[in-house]
Amino acid sequence: MIESYKLQPANFNPDTPKEFVLLSIIAQSFFQPFSLEDNLLVILTALTSGAGIGFNRAMLFLKDGEKLKATMWLGPRSPEEAEAIWSMLSSPGLGYAEIVEHNRDLVIRMMESLQPKLKSFIYSLEDDNLLLPALAAKKQEIMLVTEAQSDPLVDPNFLDFVQVDSFLCLPLVAHDEVMGEIVVDNGITHAPITRKDIELASLCALLAGNYIYTTHLYKKVVEMEKMAALGEMAAFVSHQLRNPIVAIGGFTQQLLKSPCNPEKCYRNLNIILDEIKHLEEIIYKLSHFLKIKIKELLPIDFKPILLGILERPDIKAKAKNKTISIRIADEAPLILCDPVYFEETVVNLLDNALDVTPPGGRVYLRACKKNKKWLTIIIKDSGPGLDKKSLEKMFSPFYTTKENGIGLGLLFVKRVMEMCGGKIEVQSKPGHGTMFKLYFKAQERGQP
Amino acid sequence: MKKILLVEDEKMLGLLYEEELTKEGYTVIVVHDADSAMEKVKSEKFDLIITDIRMPGKDGIELIASIMGMRKDIPIIINTAYQSYKDDFMTWAADAYIIKSSSLDELKDKIRELLKDK
Repeated sequence: MIESYKLQPANFNPDTPKEFVLLSIIAQSFFQPFSLEDNLLVILTALTSGAGIGFNRAMLFLKDGEKLKATMWLGPRSPEEAEAIWSMLSSPGLGYAEIVEHNRDLVIRMMESLQPKLKSFIYSLEDDNLLLPALAAKKQEIMLVTEAQSDPLVDPNFLDFVQVDSFLCLPLVAHDEVMGEIVVDNGITHAPITRKDIELASLCALLAGNYIYTTHLYKKVVEMEKMAALGEMAAFVSHQLRNPIVAIGGFTQQLLKSPCNPEKCYRNLNIILDEIKHLEEIIYKLSHFLKIKIKELLPIDFKPILLGILERPDIKAKAKNKTISIRIADEAPLILCDPVYFEETVVNLLDNALDVTPPGGRVYLRACKKNKKWLTIIIKDSGPGLDKKSLEKMFSPFYTTKENGIGLGLLFVKRVMEMCGGKIEVQSKPGHGTMFKLYFKAQERGQP
Repeated sequence: MKKILLVEDEKMLGLLYEEELTKEGYTVIVVHDADSAMEKVKSEKFDLIITDIRMPGKDGIELIASIMGMRKDIPIIINTAYQSYKDDFMTWAADAYIIKSSSLDELKDKIRELLKDK
């Protein structure tokens, strides 16, 4: 017998220890589309809710440069408020998403009055006489403070704000780097902080530290990708636009400098005009190919579209002296895509295939039902095939093997395929032509 | 008369350079890709080679490597729209690296300088 369970359990067995439930909830929250702040709020909630570890209050500090700044404080201000929150949070059937939602409101409401005071807690980690709570982050040690009022290592301003005598400092550390700190206390109930509390809290801090670290890394990667794309773009602009501009400039200077016979004047002006048209074409293709937006995937009947493509004048002109062999499987399903983008995708590949196929050669266009899920459209040419370098670079923006190409066609095809949830495969060998296989999601006729 | 081989895939730019350099008193042979350039280098004698980098098929860097492997004595000028290839150490083998501009003065000066001792 085989039983299946959800990847992320939502309901826990009543016998499951609450510590396990807590850690599971924190781990799951990292997979939710929550912001960094919301996920940290989940951890603060776990530390403070009665169903969790049960500290009364938690304050979050985040590291910004070499400074440790107080950012968020979660917890009731009075025993009455505490009771209301805890009874609300321990009501059965309440998911952590609701708890986070509730706590977000709470934090926002609290922050309004506490914000100015809270924001004044900024500690420099480079300070040689750093006091607690920030000292724990600097030392990267979990520190339990008791009898705080009489301890010279505790910042009196901080004590004045939290009004407690004992608190626990949990540095958030990942890869030997301080990410922040969480300070928890039992300022309402004044219950002592136990060894078990510290052990569990340290696990939460570990998770929080790693989570902040990963979020920073992710942001960096996204930024780097953006920069790389920008770099490619800049390279494109300098090459593709510079060539026509140099030609326009050069031929204009010829007109200005040397006495020109009418014939040469006319020729130069025509070249200039052609180059300007080329520039316009580049600009059009750029905005057209890079701005692909498929709002809604529609089930489309691709057969008439494919047949229509073969009647297009541009394709017909290119297919002169060549044969396009088309075969479409009987009872082909519908495919999920956008009809306009689908046509342009096939036209792009067919156009390439015709370009490299020698006169007298054949281009094959096939539509086959792969299985229930996929329908494949295959376009194969009889050209020279691709070498390793072209195969590696074919989808890179602005890579082209055509004299007047701008190197966006295949990138366009790839992006359309991604947007409609399909995939693309390429097989090519020098001397054996190139085959593109497009996988579209299939939908049986008559089904929603 | 000094003979220059010019490798430029953009046909109109090739025409422009051909006319302008002919006016300067050089014999200019224009080809549009690296393979044709190699054939020319094998069969004829040139005093200078000017090449673009990004071209369909073999690029200018591969071309320079092939020429260097065959004849080290011909000066080579890279004439390209890309600044970025300056970081490619293979381009350091060339005698000059010029960014394409609508003013051909820099290119002309460089040619004069490189052909002076020849």
